[in-house]
Amino acid sequence: MTEHYPVVILMAPLFGALLATLLGRGRQVACWWTALIALGISALFAVGNICAVLASGEGELRYRMGGWHESSGYEVGIELRVDMLAALVVAAVTLVGFVNTIFAKTRVTGEMREKVSFYYALNQLLIVGLCGIVMTNDAFNLYVLIEITSLTSYALIAMGNRRAALSSFNYIIMGTIGASFYLLGVGYLYIKTGTLNIDDIRGVLQSGNLWGHASITIAFILIMLGVWIKMALFPLHGWLPNAYCYAPSAVSSFMAPLMTKVMVYVMLRVMLWLFGSEYVYSSGHVWGELIIWMSIIAIVAGSFLALARTDIKKMLTYLIVAEVGYMVGGAWLVNGAGLAGSMYHIFSDAAMTFCLFLAASIVILRTGDHRLTAFNGLFRRMPLTMIGFTVGALSMIGLPPTCGFFSKWYLISGGIEAGHWAYVAALLFSSLVNAVIFFRIFERAYFGNLKGVADEQFPDDRDSAPPLTLERVPCSMLIPLFLAVMAVLLVGIYNNTLVSWLKAAMPPL
Amino acid sequence: MKFFGFIAVVVVGTLLLVATGDFPGWGNPHSPASEGQVSGFYIEQTVNVTKVPNMVTAVLADFRGYDTMFETVVIFIAGIGIIAVLRTFGDTAGKASDYPEPDEGSDIIVRSTCHLMVPLIQLFALYVVAHGHHSPGGGFQGGVMLGASYILLALACGLPVAKRRMGERKAIVLAATGIIIYAGWGVACLFFGGNFLDYASLDPVLPGDKEMARSHSMLVVEIGVAFTVTAIMFAIYSNLATRGRLEKGL
Repeated sequence: MTEHYPVVILMAPLFGALLATLLGRGRQVACWWTALIALGISALFAVGNICAVLASGEGELRYRMGGWHESSGYEVGIELRVDMLAALVVAAVTLVGFVNTIFAKTRVTGEMREKVSFYYALNQLLIVGLCGIVMTNDAFNLYVLIEITSLTSYALIAMGNRRAALSSFNYIIMGTIGASFYLLGVGYLYIKTGTLNIDDIRGVLQSGNLWGHASITIAFILIMLGVWIKMALFPLHGWLPNAYCYAPSAVSSFMAPLMTKVMVYVMLRVMLWLFGSEYVYSSGHVWGELIIWMSIIAIVAGSFLALARTDIKKMLTYLIVAEVGYMVGGAWLVNGAGLAGSMYHIFSDAAMTFCLFLAASIVILRTGDHRLTAFNGLFRRMPLTMIGFTVGALSMIGLPPTCGFFSKWYLISGGIEAGHWAYVAALLFSSLVNAVIFFRIFERAYFGNLKGVADEQFPDDRDSAPPLTLERVPCSMLIPLFLAVMAVLLVGIYNNTLVSWLKAAMPPL
Repeated sequence: MKFFGFIAVVVVGTLLLVATGDFPGWGNPHSPASEGQVSGFYIEQTVNVTKVPNMVTAVLADFRGYDTMFETVVIFIAGIGIIAVLRTFGDTAGKASDYPEPDEGSDIIVRSTCHLMVPLIQLFALYVVAHGHHSPGGGFQGGVMLGASYILLALACGLPVAKRRMGERKAIVLAATGIIIYAGWGVACLFFGGNFLDYASLDPVLPGDKEMARSHSMLVVEIGVAFTVTAIMFAIYSNLATRGRLEKGL
């Protein structure tokens, strides 16, 4: 039974989505229960999957779709491969999906009205896509699943307010270009190697000594470009802020923590497993140094752009752009600490972004204001929500014992080990900017309206105002926030265990 | 902006040209993709292990059936997504139609031709679906033809006539049923002790031996694909053509 866990993780939300569509628009509560149960099963098996990987001797599980066995050393069918990193990311995806469904309950009825069943169906299919991306060991299957996640997210974002349709259209253009680059790169690899299995491609590249070939280098560049567009690495981030800002609140609180992080996972997968670290990190290429500088620019630019925003959600989305820079930089430092920091930051950033987006959504809905002015005097009015927001914010700044501190710790020690002081400086600078951003908010929340800051300095943007405001924050929103806060703290406290597991999954550098 | 666009196009174009120079020759029988272990296995063994003469269908529906299941899901998502974004429920009576009132089905020549053609198209579509694993064709192609027959009906006789045969609810149920057939068939393999989509494990309940079970199962999943594609083709058309109002339009 254990070996079938990955299939259960994928199939539960798939059938849940179909059931939600079949239930139709008359039965909203039934749709919610369907989504909750399906994602609950999925999350349960994802946790079981971690145990299964720990129990297995090789530290990884392989699953052959269709039962096709290899023929003379090559996989003829599609294979799943779940190592510790994949198992943990899948668990993060399904758990965030499950908790977010609790959060979504009261929101979607207001925001989607008759389209609730479509929301639950698309949301579950998005989770199927993300889990599939993480577990697959086939370069083309990865593309098919990227297509699933992209299509569902275009539709989900477009279901938001009036501006959402245009931002979703921007995302479609950018996302399609990114996916095409990825597909083109995979096509080149297939022409040169004759196989699509990730391990087999690496094997052929190694045994045929194809590393010097121009087409392999170009395939790598194309795949990287495609993945960077998808993960919104500065300056390819143009689609992200509007898309996440104007999407329905239940959608952005799920997509902001996970979509970019899963693409970072794909980047690591492509670097370390598809091409292999010997090739990617070899000193013969100019790109290593170049990419670290790109990530430094991303961190600095993302932080500055966030500082300049007066809209809560816009500000948070630019912080995501900066965080993507952290992970890309860490992955290219070419040492264990940097790589571990990059992998660990996938989880810590997912936890703290989830926490901040939930808290921000609640604040915006309760006050009916999406600008930073919404926070005036909030510690007195909404103490519980503000505690949640504070924990997330402190983690963004990087204070112990939150997870943000430990991921910065690993990344900075990686930077020092590599002797890359500019990267270390960029991380510290981003911490400082985050401190300015969030303490500005705390000040408002404690002391109410500050003198000397006129409201006119916060331009109103009517279109992103929520259609409905809440009289009272329901438990179904506070419990998810509480769980997110727990995640931020637990990921931080158990950082040692997590990092040791991640290091075991890492291929030797 | 145009200048930067030009630079980007030149750079990517140069990269593509450089890469092309490195490829094996056009139609080279010794290139890795034609002579490699994987394609070699497909070419030599397909008939032996699946009893299906159409190699393409075997790769699509069996060796890489997991991919094809998700491709069907992609089509499903496209349809559901378009309905979710465009469909306007509730009263649209207040808004005047953007289009002139169509004089539905007034042209007797168009209507008669369409009534003659639709059954033939559907019959051929069913043949393409059913014969997909023996000759070119399959669920996607047959499904598109079936969907096109409904679209033709809507074009010739007006949307209400087509909707009587394929209503909105019916289309959604049909689309979901298609994926339930495909994925459910895969899950059924689990209960017979095989891996997901391991059709060979179904041979206790299917006529013939293990290889024949694979061949039969390919037919089943192709039918599932055809269900989804048919319904989604028509759903996309009717929503786009009427701006999600599903009335009048065209």
